[in-house]
Amino acid sequence: MKENCSHQVDCLKMIQLILDGEATEQQLAKLQINLESCQPCIRMYHLEKEVKELLTKRMEKRCCPDELVATIKSRILSFS
Amino acid sequence: MSDTPTRDDDQTLPTDGSSVEQSPSDAPARGYTDEQKYRIFNKEFMPHIDSMYNFAFRLTTDEDDANDLVQDTYLKAFRFISSFEQGTNAKAWLFRILKNSFINDYRKKSKEPAKVDYQDVETTYNSEDAETEHTVDLRAESVSDLIGDEVATALNSLPVDFRTVIILCDIEGFTYEEMAKILDIPIGTVRSRLHRARNLLKEKLRDYASSMGYKEETDE
Repeated sequence: MKENCSHQVDCLKMIQLILDGEATEQQLAKLQINLESCQPCIRMYHLEKEVKELLTKRMEKRCCPDELVATIKSRILSFS
Repeated sequence: MSDTPTRDDDQTLPTDGSSVEQSPSDAPARGYTDEQKYRIFNKEFMPHIDSMYNFAFRLTTDEDDANDLVQDTYLKAFRFISSFEQGTNAKAWLFRILKNSFINDYRKKSKEPAKVDYQDVETTYNSEDAETEHTVDLRAESVSDLIGDEVATALNSLPVDFRTVIILCDIEGFTYEEMAKILDIPIGTVRSRLHRARNLLKEKLRDYASSMGYKEETDE
């Protein structure tokens, strides 16, 4: 298991592409290998995944107030 | 969010169907009848209003400003509806209008906590040296206990252009290609801006985590 790595920045960028669903098959395969052999990659992968999940799952989603929906609908009716 | 109410009812659809009317807009104009305009508005635009409001709130960090921004955006969208091609990506189209309205009308008057403009930040961060190309020393376990409010505060403290890419990608789930269109920037810039935004965010989260008493190792 590799403890240090000089390609961390490149690997981090690749990990982000993968978590964003923007990676190629090749990059996916490369990460699979790294996740079994490279400590920094494992750490970065878990951190990026955790941060992304904080944003997607833990942040409150604000809904549009009903009054605003009503206002918009009545305003566009006056356009025609 | 499967329980999100869909606001796509037909109540605002006028029944007289008076057609003609062609607004001279910038993009290839489509000769929609009034009836078609209202149908597009209700069926393709209104279902995104909660996401639009959430985006507006995350950008302005103020409920009143978010209200105004969403209202302005939807009125603009209706006015320029002939430049929207039916059946294409309405959500990205609307987000683009909202983001432009925000930059043109709200950013000036908004009380950004840090008076840092993206331009400055980009100049600082864009220097060729690898200074900016780094990894933030932080462990997943250190942030796993953070709550939504803390994440929101960290996100809000980022310069608005960095905040925007994170919102679009991680909160709204847009693809890089959609983000490039919404933001009018090349995909490569989307990628690098996201990378920098995430580094900044992790630095903020690290500050939070350490203020909560987590110890970070400094293994460089």
